[in-house]
Amino acid sequence: MAENQEPRIGVFICHCGTNIAGSLDVNAVMEYARSLPNVVVADEYQYMCSTPGQNKIIDAEKDYDLTGVVVAACSPRLHEPTFRTATAEGGLNKFRFEMANIRDQNSWVHMHDWEGATEKAKDQVRIAVAKARLLEDLQPKSVPVEHAAMVVGAGVGGMQAALDLANAGIKTYLVEKDPTIGGRMSQLDKTFPTLDCSQCILTPKMVDAGRHPNIILETYTEVENVEGYIGNFDITLRKKARGTRDGAEMVAAGLEGSGCNGCGDCASVCPVIKPNPFEMGMAPRKAIYIYHPQVMPLQYTIDFDACVKCGLCKDICGTEKNAIDLEMTDSLEKVKVGCVILATGYDLIPIEDKTEWGYRRYENVITGLEFERLICASGPTGGHLIRPSDGETPMKVGFVLCAGSRDNTGGVGKPYCSRFCCMYSLKHAHQIMEKIPGAVPYLFYMDIRSFGKMYEEFYYRIQNEGAKFIRGRVAAIEEDPITKNLYVQTEDTLLGRPVNVECNLVVLAAAIQPKPDAERIRQMFGVSKSQDGWYLEAHPKLNPCGTTTAGIFLAGVCQGPKDIPDTVAQAEGAASAASIPIHQGEVQLEPYFAQCVEDLCAGCGMCVPQCPYGALSLIQKDDRQVMTVTEAKCKGCGTCGGFCPGGAIRMQHFTSPQICAQIDSFLLNPLGGEE
Amino acid sequence: MSEHFDHSYAFFLGCIAPNRYPGCEAAAIRTSAKVGIELLPLKGASCCPAPGAFGAIDLRVWYAMAARNLCLAEEMNKDIALICNGCYKSIWEVNHKLKHDDELRDQVNEVLAEIDMEYKGSIDVWHLAELYYDEKICGVKKIADSVVRPLDGTKIAVHYGCHLMKPGKDRHFGDTEHPMWIDELVGALGAEPVQYRNKMQCCGAGGGVRGYDILHSLDITNEKLINMQEAQADAITEVCPFCQLQFDRGQIEIQENFGQTYNLPVLHYNELLGLAQGMSPSELALDLHAIDCKPYLEKII
Repeated sequence: MAENQEPRIGVFICHCGTNIAGSLDVNAVMEYARSLPNVVVADEYQYMCSTPGQNKIIDAEKDYDLTGVVVAACSPRLHEPTFRTATAEGGLNKFRFEMANIRDQNSWVHMHDWEGATEKAKDQVRIAVAKARLLEDLQPKSVPVEHAAMVVGAGVGGMQAALDLANAGIKTYLVEKDPTIGGRMSQLDKTFPTLDCSQCILTPKMVDAGRHPNIILETYTEVENVEGYIGNFDITLRKKARGTRDGAEMVAAGLEGSGCNGCGDCASVCPVIKPNPFEMGMAPRKAIYIYHPQVMPLQYTIDFDACVKCGLCKDICGTEKNAIDLEMTDSLEKVKVGCVILATGYDLIPIEDKTEWGYRRYENVITGLEFERLICASGPTGGHLIRPSDGETPMKVGFVLCAGSRDNTGGVGKPYCSRFCCMYSLKHAHQIMEKIPGAVPYLFYMDIRSFGKMYEEFYYRIQNEGAKFIRGRVAAIEEDPITKNLYVQTEDTLLGRPVNVECNLVVLAAAIQPKPDAERIRQMFGVSKSQDGWYLEAHPKLNPCGTTTAGIFLAGVCQGPKDIPDTVAQAEGAASAASIPIHQGEVQLEPYFAQCVEDLCAGCGMCVPQCPYGALSLIQKDDRQVMTVTEAKCKGCGTCGGFCPGGAIRMQHFTSPQICAQIDSFLLNPLGGEE
Repeated sequence: MSEHFDHSYAFFLGCIAPNRYPGCEAAAIRTSAKVGIELLPLKGASCCPAPGAFGAIDLRVWYAMAARNLCLAEEMNKDIALICNGCYKSIWEVNHKLKHDDELRDQVNEVLAEIDMEYKGSIDVWHLAELYYDEKICGVKKIADSVVRPLDGTKIAVHYGCHLMKPGKDRHFGDTEHPMWIDELVGALGAEPVQYRNKMQCCGAGGGVRGYDILHSLDITNEKLINMQEAQADAITEVCPFCQLQFDRGQIEIQENFGQTYNLPVLHYNELLGLAQGMSPSELALDLHAIDCKPYLEKII
């Protein structure tokens, strides 16, 4: 197209079935569009996004020698890419396309105002044409992508994502704040509905992740700082002082000795005893410890908050291994990766704050996770389920489902379904009937949500095994102060009468919430959150692994409650999505980034702190300072452009002349026709 | 005895205390005086009105009548103190609602205008027990310091009462599922507050249950009495004359209807406090109780 050629605009109005055509006069809008300056063709079609609809654009560009295309249809979020592709196919630069959203912003909101909606659609088309007349060719930029990835959180989701990336040939940092990988799944006894031993099916994955040549395991490590953008994230890791070194670290530090081999001599002499968080505080550990026998890596960790530095561990470790360093401090490490997957998991809500159920007030009220440890053969009781108050075997066990889930009362309660509590409570019911002959589980439920493959069948199985189901939200649990038995009070909503069941033990299926440090991590990586604090996916249906920040992906419960199969599936999806830009080696950036017109820039630097993405900086150029834009970081938000006192910042695709033309066309020319 | 008062309140009597348990009323005035609280008569007060009886039939009547009582105290420029959970439910809650709902307040004021009154929202409403627990007004230590005859070696089952604690989301007592503050006030007298099963269950009387279905109402009371007895309580204490009536006369009715006998003395907290502060049983009109208080008195006097 020649410079300074008079613009030639084509306008296409979409019916969107009756979504648009049912609420406004499409033909009247089309006739109006024909009267607008520089519009050389206006047409309408049932579905502009269909192949014939797109062909209208392609043909018109050739037949009418168009310089810009306007489609009045649904939302740019849905179909802007479709129409841009068609525009490019017709021969124009794809950024010479402009969309008027006459569906979401018009026909849907003015459904019962035919005249008003039609007039508003005319305004919208006129404004879009005004901008289309001034559109320019823009070229997308591409930036190189580092051939490495990071996964934050090494539960089953994080491990799966890391293994997939590593198997795809990508160097992957697997970062875990705890001393071992494995996460929540390693705390579970069995998994539903197959009743696999959780640790048995998890350990091979832990071993694979620990030994994979492409995985760099960063345990007892936290993310300290994040800079950069897709393809080029510069991440600072804080390697917390572990107090011990493995063989590789000994070599790296140039120290004599073979390093920690996990023999455990140190723990046997340690005089300090602390509750083991892995056992939900129900078993002791020493100040130098491992969580459980299958930890990966098998390396002891010193809890420096508890350690009294008596040196007994160091003495017994000896000079041959020389693994222990009581003076160790945190160290920082910088790594560069192309993409990041967040898999930070969940915590239980502080269920003691729902005081009506008496958790932490009554000894025999426990949580589902505590039950997992008490029923687990490697747990603190060797798999014997006992009552905490007296060590007796409970014969009547109450399970309170939706303990804080699906709870709209505010406070600690959560309005959402925590999605795995029904199933694990069914599993718990099965486990007690299997292990304790004659024991009766009572499940107090609102609905049983057994939605997965073979889940409903599992529910039937537990029913047939003799579990009792009582439909109703538990109002209160009262303890008999003498026997320490618990009276579970609810209304049986199927019988329509109050019930009061005496139980020896009550297990609360507590709701789940994001981890305490999820908020800090979210902010560092620039990820949005949903109302409940879970990380927000880019689109709940069409982009469930991505986020609105390019290069950051999500796996597992950090995005919302899900069980192991769903977590693993999402992890594989996230790994696949993250590997695409890494394998492409470069990513294309939409050319919306700000530009500095250096002739106008006074180098005042006032724009720099305004940028929410840290994309601006001052550089020295020919004896003076000017602003420069890191294009890959710029999101085109326009904050700097609006702020610049000298008007030196130009927002591509949203230039001041383009925006002024839109405003003018709305205010000055409401009737159409010649200007 | 001359008294020094740090705080004074308009004292809302209610109906059951002065009519059935005059000792509650007498005790309230005298025990509070010993910890620096002056209770002034709220002249011209009507029924609170009873939350179950009036509120269940027409809320507008309930709001307007309670607001009238609030206006009387506003004219005195005093906060209200009261000794009955039913009164608390009506007067505290209507005050709370009117302070937070402009539309409701306008409707109520339209009615009050007919008797030349206007609700302004200028005062607060307190249960006397709440004032006793409040560190800024009195506090547990001051209560303990006022004791001259400790209730040592006796076990007391504390009943809080529904209308004081619920609805939990509107109340300001903190944990309304497992409250311990009245237990602390009992402990301050030297007695041991015992924990019993279903402590937070209703006494059986409130909400119109006693008036509508006496046997059902007594069934609830009976269950509480069983649990209190199992916990080896020497006496029951509460902060509500209607709960007191249900536990006290209810025991006679339970004997008549179910044939079960407990003989558990029932004392309002103010009566218990009066005993600990040295008042005599006759000053507290304990002889007007249906269940003989002597077995308990013998343990402390």
